Amino acid sequence: MINVKNLHKSFGDKEILKGIDTHVAEQEVVVVIGPSGSGKSTFLRCLNGLERVTSGEIEIAGMKLTDPKTNIHKLRQHVGMVFQQFNLFKHLTILENITIGPRKVKKMSGREADQVARALLEKVGLTDKEASFPDELSGGQQQRVAIARALAMEPAVMLFDEPTSALDPEMVGEVLQVMKSLAADGMTMVVVTHEMGFAREVGHRVIFMDDGLVVEEGKPEALFSNPQAQRTQDFLAKII
Amino acid sequence: MNVIWQNLPALLDGLRLTVQYALGAIVLMVVIGLVAALMRLSRFRILNWVAWAYVEIFRSTPLLVQLFFVVLGLPAILPVNEWFGQLTYPILAAALTLSLNEGAYVTEIIRAGILGVDRGQKEAADSIAMTGFQTMRYIVLPQAFKRMIPPLVNQAAQTIKDTSLLAPVGIIELVYKGEIVIASTFASFSIWGVIAVLYFILIFSVSQCASYLERRLQVDKR
Repeated sequence: MINVKNLHKSFGDKEILKGIDTHVAEQEVVVVIGPSGSGKSTFLRCLNGLERVTSGEIEIAGMKLTDPKTNIHKLRQHVGMVFQQFNLFKHLTILENITIGPRKVKKMSGREADQVARALLEKVGLTDKEASFPDELSGGQQQRVAIARALAMEPAVMLFDEPTSALDPEMVGEVLQVMKSLAADGMTMVVVTHEMGFAREVGHRVIFMDDGLVVEEGKPEALFSNPQAQRTQDFLAKII
Repeated sequence: MNVIWQNLPALLDGLRLTVQYALGAIVLMVVIGLVAALMRLSRFRILNWVAWAYVEIFRSTPLLVQLFFVVLGLPAILPVNEWFGQLTYPILAAALTLSLNEGAYVTEIIRAGILGVDRGQKEAADSIAMTGFQTMRYIVLPQAFKRMIPPLVNQAAQTIKDTSLLAPVGIIELVYKGEIVIASTFASFSIWGVIAVLYFILIFSVSQCASYLERRLQVDKR
């Protein structure tokens, strides 16, 4: 589903990603962990072209992102993204937030898009909020809407960029619950997070990044209980 | 008092023309400002540069000089009066110059409004595969527009006042009409007084509408 070869990314002369190689299989849930500044968010943002890659290759959902001939808008239709700060469209209702993608990008009819949106709102447990505006919702509710908005495009892959980091502790659970059910449905997911419980429980594979490189990767139990690299050991010792 | 009543119809006719020029210029300045603002924010260097030059040139020279230059200067080297007509050219040129001048300020207002929209909004639109145009049209501009309303209304009021500078280049509007009336009645004090009152009523009602609108937008603030 995702193939990354020797990915480099620099901002000015500061190199953030120093050669990432990895692969994500269909229906796999990969959790990316690492200290802040390790490049894990930048890595995720490269996967749907929000950041322009400096060099290397990314293939995602059957399309070569790094090929200049690839239509980035086509590609993004297959790659959903959920942001740390939710980024719901502030001037649109909850329903409109979800329908605007299908309507404007996929040219779906208004009625059909409403149906899709209502089904998704039910899935994330917010049926009664469709007429509200984002600033009337709690952070946890907004993030669930953001997940529904991404799902409305029927993506092949979902990217999560620290989806619970901006939430009050009591709201983390409801968002993780939605992500868990997504994983159970067989969605291919790449999740950057600090939620080690989620990584352990839902992740099929954990990637530990530090200083722009993949230091270590493996099954969650193995990586958490028996980390091989010194840097992984240091990081896990600090956070667990 | 008599002199005011006798000449009020002429002055009101001038006011009507003033309103026409102002309305035309306000519509045009928003269109010009929007295009130039989008050019300023474009990643194409040339568009960027052209819009920047336009704004700086019009903001850094007096409107009155611009009007004299275009309305009276250009016909000295180009047969513009033949192209557009002896009577039409000055009106067309003056209206366009006024619109371009105000449009330079509107460019900066719209640009600031667009830049004020949170970056995350654009990224979210990108992530659901919207094109640059769709992002601008459905996500960024609607949000930017709300914060642009107060400064745009200010600029509209300024535009109404600036139409008075059309008189010196020979365009008939309120001030011009007033000068004609004064030339035959010598009633400078009362006629200029009436003209000031007419401008006041016009501009004051515009700014009142604006603060009403602003309050409405605060109530449902989105």
